Amino acid sequence: MSSLQRLFAVFLIILNAGVLPAAEYTFDLSEIEKKPYGFGGFLEFRPVLFGLDREAAFYRIRYFDQEQESIRDDYNLGLRLEGSYEKGATGLFFKSDALLNYTDDDWSDDFKVLEGYLALKPANGFSLNAGKRVLLWGKGYAFNPVAFVSRPKDADDPNEALEGYYVIDADFIKSYDGLLKTLAFTPVLLPVTDDINDDFGRADHLNFAAKLYLLFWDTDLDFMVFTGSSRTTRYGFDFSRNIGTNFEVHGEAAWVIDFQEKFIDNQGRLTTETADVLQALFGIRYLTANDVTCIIEYYHNGGGIGVDDAENFYKFVDRAYDRYLAAADSSQLFRAAQLSRGTLAAARPMRDYMYFRASIKEPFDLLYFTPAFTSIVNLNDRSLSLTPELAYTPITNLDLRLRCAFLAGAPQTEFGEKQNNYRLELRVRYYF
Amino acid sequence: MTVLYFLLALALAAPAAAMDANELLKKVDRNLTPVSYESYRKLINVEPSGRTKEFVLFTVKKGREKVASLFLSPASDKGRSTLRLEDNMWLYIPNVAKPVRITSMQSVVGGVFNNSDILQLDYADEYDVSKLEDLGKEYLLHLKARTKTVAYDQLRMWVDKERVSPSKVECLTEASMLIKTLYFKDIKDFGGGIVRPAMVETDSPLYKGYKSVMMFANVRTRDFADEVFTLTFMPKLDTLRQGQ
Repeated sequence: MSSLQRLFAVFLIILNAGVLPAAEYTFDLSEIEKKPYGFGGFLEFRPVLFGLDREAAFYRIRYFDQEQESIRDDYNLGLRLEGSYEKGATGLFFKSDALLNYTDDDWSDDFKVLEGYLALKPANGFSLNAGKRVLLWGKGYAFNPVAFVSRPKDADDPNEALEGYYVIDADFIKSYDGLLKTLAFTPVLLPVTDDINDDFGRADHLNFAAKLYLLFWDTDLDFMVFTGSSRTTRYGFDFSRNIGTNFEVHGEAAWVIDFQEKFIDNQGRLTTETADVLQALFGIRYLTANDVTCIIEYYHNGGGIGVDDAENFYKFVDRAYDRYLAAADSSQLFRAAQLSRGTLAAARPMRDYMYFRASIKEPFDLLYFTPAFTSIVNLNDRSLSLTPELAYTPITNLDLRLRCAFLAGAPQTEFGEKQNNYRLELRVRYYF
Repeated sequence: MTVLYFLLALALAAPAAAMDANELLKKVDRNLTPVSYESYRKLINVEPSGRTKEFVLFTVKKGREKVASLFLSPASDKGRSTLRLEDNMWLYIPNVAKPVRITSMQSVVGGVFNNSDILQLDYADEYDVSKLEDLGKEYLLHLKARTKTVAYDQLRMWVDKERVSPSKVECLTEASMLIKTLYFKDIKDFGGGIVRPAMVETDSPLYKGYKSVMMFANVRTRDFADEVFTLTFMPKLDTLRQGQ
């Protein structure tokens, strides 16, 4: 049985999980008892099948000295644990991920604390937190230019939990009557040392960020700022509003001071120029009469890699690979790998993207079944990804998701030069 | 002349009857819930096969236009919360770590219930009574939505005269097409003067064979700070829950 057939067999078996008989309706008060502690999480099994593109630049960088394959399978077993303890106005919270991976006949494991922090809530309008936390700012669904104090989201899976940074933050909230209904202020301190937040930016600095939120005239408005020496200063703004009962618009804009723009010449040399850049997003969310939710977003990454620079990189990889084949000299390929980090290997490295997602709630009256379709288009080189998806919850706490991402693009384009042509993934999650 | 007097009396009586009907609707609201309260609810979606899916929510409401709900179970939904502030609605998912705007006709639980059923305001705040019929032991109120943002354009509400509490509500579109019917059952004394139906069953011609049930527990009068009903407070709603 091929890997693909195994994957489908697993999916079908789970899909036909047993039907539970109806019970008399009861509401036991023990179900609502408030305990000082809480514990939960999920167990996840996620096999992935990759269709490899042996002509692609990133395949050559990664696999140039290995047996050339067309297909690769990955098996992932994950355990998410979340817990809390609360007493009075104080609470302790944590969230962690443990991952076991089997790929290329090799096992590997990883453990990560996503969040772990102390929370104080002395009043409803004031709270203080210290520890590792996710502070995700912005109104965009797939992209967030104003996410100044969090890691970037995966646009292919924007609802997944992120790993936080160590911060001290507070919330001050005030409500009003009239056009201004809510005002909230969130200051943040983010230290960076060799041991803490070391991947955020330059070490040995204390950084400051703040967000001012307003609910004004039924519109969510946020104003943000980040300053400090770990990264350059930046200012942000976002908004979200319902135009009609089924139509929402949102947007973000970030002005980044002294951004290091990157350029790649045709010899594979990297140069940088300092400039102030704009990163912005505009999007809509629309719900049709047939319960189809559409999300469309345009993302401009002002500091992204230009089309010509990207082409220079891919041509450099081609020449490096040819040199390897001719003279067994891999030095240029190693150089290409190094060059790709922080440039074209990053997520959404170029300048202009469109994001489209449509999901249908329970078509044909199939409860808890949600098919969806997502596409990300690089507007600069016209390459794209297309991802159909099926999500289903056959029994309580069991989530199934099957999706396949197809990457399409000409040579020397972002999606055309990724190491895969497609990626088929089954995700099985059981929550407890 | 007699006819003229009769018509004049009818014209004068009509607004008075309508005002009484709106007052009746307000009394229905107060008999269902206090102005500010907390409650626990269990939502049960029942499929034609008999299979069920249950959700337990903690809900807080203040005044006319502030409602928030927190999912306590199942585990896959625990920690999600929804907030309504007048015509604005948001959903907070812990993994996503920020609230997003939603609409009243969407459903975060699937099945027959939608967001406006979960984050329901007083009927009198969203509807006007266009007609009142006396059916003997019950009144039949015909309700018309005040704005286009309300989930259902029309309601037909059967109100028990003795308890001044609904026994049945039909939800209709502008074209008078039936969307769903709610049946209020199992009158229970929750204490504090709150005597109301503890169960609401719902069925829909749009979901033939499916049914949803909402059960209430621990409905209690409670006041809250306005700051509880804000986006920034959504991740902290669980801190409002007190020991039972």
